[in-house]
Amino acid sequence: MRERVAIIDGLRTPIAKAGGKLKQIQADELGAHIVRELALRVGIPFKEYSEVIMGNVSQPPHAANVARVIALRSGFPDSTIAYTVHRNCASGMEAITSAAQKIAAGRGEIYMCGGVESMSNIPLFYGKEMREFFSALFASKTLAQKLLILAQFRPSHLRPVMGLMQGLTDPISGLLMGSTAEILAQDFGIGREAQDEMAMVSHHKAQKARDEGIFAQEIAPIAYGKDATLMMDDDGIRDDQNMKALGKLRPFFDKKNGTVTAGNSSQISDAAAAVVLMSESRAKEMGLTPLGYLKEYAYAGLEPKRMGMGPAFSTAALFKRTKMKMSDIDLVEINEAFAVQVMANEIAFGSKEYAIKNLGRRSALGEIDPHMLNVNGGAVALGHPVGMTGTRMVIHTLKELKRRGKHRALATLCIGGGQGGALILEVE
Amino acid sequence: MSSISVDIDNRGVCEVIFDMPHSSVNLLSTPVLEELEAHIESIKKDTQIRAVLFKSAKDGIFIAGADIGEIDSLDDESLAREKVKRGQDILTLITTIKPPTIAIIDGAALGGGFELALACDYRIATQNPKSKMGLVEVSLGVIPGFGGTHRLKELVGLSRALELIMGSKKIDADKALKMGLVDASVPSGYLEFKINSLLRELDSKQGRAKIASKRAKIPLIDKYLPAVVLMIASKRAVEKTKGHYEAPLKLIELYRASEPLSVEEALSLEVDTFCSLVVTPTCKNLISLYNTSEALKKESGTTRATKPITIEQASVVGGGVMGSGIVWLFSKLEILVRLIDRDPKQISKALKHIRSIYKTLRKRRRITDHQISTKLDHITYSTSLDAISNSNLVLEAIIESSSAKKDLYREIEARVSKECIIATNTSSLSISDLASELEHPQRFIGMHFFNPVNRMPLVEIIPGQMSSPKSVATVVELAKQSGKTPIVVGDCAGFLVNRILIPYINEAIQMFEEGEDMERIDALVEEFGMPMGPFALADEVGLDVGYKVGTLLYEAYGERMSIPKIFEDIYSLKILGKKSGSGFYLHGSKSLTPNHKVQALVKERRSFDSEEIIDRCMLIMVNEAARALDEKVVKNASYLDMAMVLGTGFAPFRGGLMRYAEDRGLENVVVTLSRLANAYGDRFVPCDALVKMSKESRSYFKES
Repeated sequence: MRERVAIIDGLRTPIAKAGGKLKQIQADELGAHIVRELALRVGIPFKEYSEVIMGNVSQPPHAANVARVIALRSGFPDSTIAYTVHRNCASGMEAITSAAQKIAAGRGEIYMCGGVESMSNIPLFYGKEMREFFSALFASKTLAQKLLILAQFRPSHLRPVMGLMQGLTDPISGLLMGSTAEILAQDFGIGREAQDEMAMVSHHKAQKARDEGIFAQEIAPIAYGKDATLMMDDDGIRDDQNMKALGKLRPFFDKKNGTVTAGNSSQISDAAAAVVLMSESRAKEMGLTPLGYLKEYAYAGLEPKRMGMGPAFSTAALFKRTKMKMSDIDLVEINEAFAVQVMANEIAFGSKEYAIKNLGRRSALGEIDPHMLNVNGGAVALGHPVGMTGTRMVIHTLKELKRRGKHRALATLCIGGGQGGALILEVE
Repeated sequence: MSSISVDIDNRGVCEVIFDMPHSSVNLLSTPVLEELEAHIESIKKDTQIRAVLFKSAKDGIFIAGADIGEIDSLDDESLAREKVKRGQDILTLITTIKPPTIAIIDGAALGGGFELALACDYRIATQNPKSKMGLVEVSLGVIPGFGGTHRLKELVGLSRALELIMGSKKIDADKALKMGLVDASVPSGYLEFKINSLLRELDSKQGRAKIASKRAKIPLIDKYLPAVVLMIASKRAVEKTKGHYEAPLKLIELYRASEPLSVEEALSLEVDTFCSLVVTPTCKNLISLYNTSEALKKESGTTRATKPITIEQASVVGGGVMGSGIVWLFSKLEILVRLIDRDPKQISKALKHIRSIYKTLRKRRRITDHQISTKLDHITYSTSLDAISNSNLVLEAIIESSSAKKDLYREIEARVSKECIIATNTSSLSISDLASELEHPQRFIGMHFFNPVNRMPLVEIIPGQMSSPKSVATVVELAKQSGKTPIVVGDCAGFLVNRILIPYINEAIQMFEEGEDMERIDALVEEFGMPMGPFALADEVGLDVGYKVGTLLYEAYGERMSIPKIFEDIYSLKILGKKSGSGFYLHGSKSLTPNHKVQALVKERRSFDSEEIIDRCMLIMVNEAARALDEKVVKNASYLDMAMVLGTGFAPFRGGLMRYAEDRGLENVVVTLSRLANAYGDRFVPCDALVKMSKESRSYFKES
């Protein structure tokens, strides 16, 4: 990119366990809440924005192009254009990089971007048989025809198809996301105990960060439920998580031999996040002090059944593009889709062999200093509202750089379907 | 100049178009009616005419009603009879036109205007939000007099007619269609298509039968058991009016008596009933309140020509009952409003309160779920003063502490633009004093809402010494937009309404202390026409609130506002009123029973004349109101009366507090006050201004 993109400010809702506190709030309302709040805090009038871009994976049936619904519900004028982006788990990142492209291309100046996911509200579907039954019934004209069709009804037709499970299944390999993680565990020889330990540490770090008010700096509370209680903190963090509790869980994806459990995977959650973007020069002109900058980004594709290695692939692409190396990076955030997947990437980053074989490089990407990786925990403890995570990582990573007085971070994640995304974020 | 034009096109369609010159509305005044008569006569002679359409050229108005000034001037029953009968006859003339007559309602059709539509064979109404229909005469203390009672009953049946007229209901096109009041409800853009298709249908017998068959059927009970319908209505009317308003009962009586009568006789009886009502003081008082409300609509709050600021974003600091009510109000107006309270629990409570107000509206079908969610989208909330920089109004509704408020204003001023208006909902602190430490005091103003905000129509607007005309105009306009009636009042302790009301509550408590029964006082005051008695009211407001405001007024005005000893005792017992379950009354069950703890504080029992009780309650208010008028706390007596009616529910049929005083006669008031002063203390000594007015036989109303 010729010029850095300034991230003026960012904000997110607390992350709620799916089916929990935020289950009554649909994605459009959740997104509108955070976008409106951020717009007010940033203080740029709504009408001055060029566009609203939101990432969302399971787009709610009642709010097609959820970004436009969010824009109007949050207070943008009718004239503000908006569209929704979908790059699976990187949707909240894609919203930001899409805006970056548009800013670079001179198609607009000020962007409201973000990601939103209400995994509680992913619908159940009727199966194929029931759909055919309905369409035949609606098409029938006479009473006799109708009765004939009604007679073909079987209770088994009512068995629902879970949208959530479908969404988390790779359509090419037919594997559930967790099963792709099992493959990485085998590839890299990472056992159950090591995975659980990483998961436990994620909870411990997140608990500490929460207690120190670190997450509160990026959260706008949201009222939920009958009593309009204000939710102030993420509720996925298990206080004093321990190996014993994690050890009790059964492998979910490979029940006989597996190592990946609900405890060492990311949680299914509801949340929304948003950032305001503009070019660095525009921010200067307006006299704003940005939270930080997006320096560069890259996406990369790989085998769908090893999608968890997306960070290694996309970081390779990013380094190639920027000529950067690990030593240029002060802080690393790898989304914790699965504990094993983060660990596999840690190994891959440090491995020359892996780099030569898979990344088209002659040298390793570079070892990741474990003290610089996911310093406040990650999705295993906080949850992974798929469309939102990418935006959250950007906000959190920039704030953490500032807290540490560091300059540059790598934020990267794996993407269901076999992709990876990586960003270079900077402060000052 | 003519108010009606007639145009006949080549198809033989005759359009009678109402367009009163130099007016934004059409009214059925005598000259207009006479003009109409002449047109109808010539239409009747024209054999080429195929259909007659009654239309308006005004935007948003069909015909707004009869001329209220004319109704107000009807003082003599027999003269009134002549005039009203003539008007009724002219509308009846419409029914004698042979070709079909159609009223095209694309705007308000109220009172006489709707009676004209009812005299037509068919009615088409548009879905224009301004197209409201109804016979609203009862709200002015009369009943319809141009044949409306009869024709409405014929069209939709007795029970719906009673419901519409007694409730002075204004309904929209869709509801009117459902009730059978109109034959079509169409979007304004489709009106011409609909008129043409209706004209085509009217050409054939089948077409006409089809239209007739589509009309809502009259309920069977109306046809076979009208006596039962009337009995139920009568019971309801007595409950609702407490016997203070004659019109609903006379309407029922009219329907009962008309049952065996011919159309002509029924119409004639309608005129008689109308005329018997139009000369009553109740009718005159209600009309004068109506005129005052019209005058207030035109008030900008300032004499200076200044444009109010359009409030796009507002913030409300303090999420208590008042704050949350105000947030609700702004969200209803779809203003982006930020609720700020330091305590997250209070924010939750406020949001819950706001939702519950919307829920009540939805139950009454005033609003849909979808509209509610759109309105709730306009509310944001925070525990700090962040993100208020774009607000052009910040309204403060925190505790009544001068220092806390001033500290808050300093923080607000540091965050908002110079143009942002800062308003306070204080009910007791001086606006000028609160503004004294502001950097830009001209932006500061008092905006005193009444509790509960969603139901109380009055807003006292209190400019301080430094408040700019723009600040005044802005909050006046905002209050109007939100459907409230703003009245500009002076920056004195208690402002207007509380200053007058507190002495009345004090006096009631004083009588209680002297041994009178509180239930008797409340009952007598209710009978007088207040919505609730002083003790029930004090409980409702909260005894702590009442005591604090009372103390403040005592400090400001001295002995005449001293708090009865017994009130101090009750306050020290921490009895808080309804919110704590007990005040003067116990609030556990549905009916109120006197609180024995409070009763125990009374040493001896004593009983006053009922007249004495009313005099002590009402005249202490009149005396204070006269002072307020003398000090120009409010522009005129009519506005004062309106403030008392809207702010305290003071008996509307009496026209307001000062109207009541004048109806008694100011001399009588002065004499009675002097007598009360001798018997009960100096607080009753009639104020100089009142004595002077009485001596000079002047009226508070002729001067304004």
